[in-house]
Amino acid sequence: MSDTRLLDTGTVPERFARGWHCLGLVDAFRDGLPHAVEAFGGKLVVWADSQGEIKVLDGYCRHMGGDLTQGTVKGDEIACPFHDWRWGGDGKCKAIPYARRVPLRARTQTYPTVIRNGQVLVWHDVEGGQADMEILPPELEGVGTDRYTDWTWEVIDVPNAHCREIVDNVVDMAHFFYIHFAFPTNFRNVFEGHMATQFMESTGRPDMAGEGYGDEDLILKSEATYYGPSYMINWLETDYKGFLTKVILVNCHIPTGPNSFKLQYGLCVEKPEGLDDKTARYIGKKYSDMFGDGFLQDVAIWLNKAPVQNPLLCEEDGPVYQLRRWYEQFYVDKADIVAEMTDRFEFEVDTTRANENWRAEVEENLARKAAEDAANAQTVEKTPEPAESS
Amino acid sequence: MPSFVPLSPDTVEDQRRYTRARLVEVACLDCLAKVGVKKNSEHHTSIQWSGQALKQCQEFARMSDAPDGRSVHAACPRLAASIEAAVREGEINIGAEDGY
Ligand code: FES
Ligand SMILES: [Fe+2]
Repeated sequence: MSDTRLLDTGTVPERFARGWHCLGLVDAFRDGLPHAVEAFGGKLVVWADSQGEIKVLDGYCRHMGGDLTQGTVKGDEIACPFHDWRWGGDGKCKAIPYARRVPLRARTQTYPTVIRNGQVLVWHDVEGGQADMEILPPELEGVGTDRYTDWTWEVIDVPNAHCREIVDNVVDMAHFFYIHFAFPTNFRNVFEGHMATQFMESTGRPDMAGEGYGDEDLILKSEATYYGPSYMINWLETDYKGFLTKVILVNCHIPTGPNSFKLQYGLCVEKPEGLDDKTARYIGKKYSDMFGDGFLQDVAIWLNKAPVQNPLLCEEDGPVYQLRRWYEQFYVDKADIVAEMTDRFEFEVDTTRANENWRAEVEENLARKAAEDAANAQTVEKTPEPAESS
Repeated sequence: MPSFVPLSPDTVEDQRRYTRARLVEVACLDCLAKVGVKKNSEHHTSIQWSGQALKQCQEFARMSDAPDGRSVHAACPRLAASIEAAVREGEINIGAEDGY
């Protein structure tokens, strides 16, 4: 028998996770137009009724399959572009302008909707269970008031990976060094119930010239919790040369197909005292760009990696298997959730050896770069000044 | 309905090895909650709670939710002290087996 280890690519689940999924910032849907959101293997139509309340239905009309996202908002209802059937947010057909009466069976798929922290959350459950209000993400005190900047919001399409790849990041200590250019000096996980948390402290890599989180003057203290399968709130305290900022980053995704998802992220910054709004917004934008670069670094890996059910771990790795055990609770029938999926589990990664080795590697990189710079400086001295050209 | 189905029986063994193997039972010296503990090195700790142990932990019961909506308790200091004591007593073997 061979000792060669094989990758078990497994099979991806046919269903999409049960739980709350964020569709975006509520204001984006309040323009009187229907919006299309690709989700759960299909398309949703999202609009605001005359009271500004957000309604979400399956995107395709139950009459002849017209695309409701290309329809028109008429009063409180969405009108189909094909034959003008009017669908209410409760999923019922309210009127057919050319018909004597509306068929009793004219009901379509609705998505229970909640506005939380200025964002639209919808409940998805293939079993058709009641939306669980107990497990909504928490309300963020002060967010949406003058104390914080407005949410930034960005979307990245990931056409070729299962969304479990992004959830795996919760436990992936070492990728913060290689992909995000930071030293994770402290790294802890806690899973409990529907929540999975990562506690991390990190500083930037000085050999990466400010790429990713690679700014040696940047110290991050981060606490990030998934509330259910797809919605993470990340509380960050950043220290940049003694300048402290509190950032709240939301990292969430919508599965679009069995092997694709849309990653969304937005952040707001607690306005530092004595700082004008414009500067605060500028700081928010800076951090948004930085985390955006970080997500793109992840995406580049996901698009090319193999799915793996049997990762081979070393002692410095986080609890990948326990995280996935936790994540499975959202993919099995509610009746099939077993205690070990939701029981509290804690894991502290020993980062000492990793950081010793990484420090040494970074020192080497810096020394090599210094030597190269010195060599370049010498050649420049020897070369005669070129005549100025325009 | 099954999800994320592994294709190899070895994967099931890996799942057991990484999640359940080598857990040593430790009781909290204060509330007597029993948890499973593994220490692959001095600074590494893995703690598997059960529903019953969690209910028993007085420390968590006392901690209220943090004011800003964060609902996760990082750790119980009393349990941590109990685990340290168990390590001192030699009840917990420190060391990993081939990465798990
Ligand atoms: S398909 Fe929608 S009204 Fe006919
Ligand atoms: Fe990442």
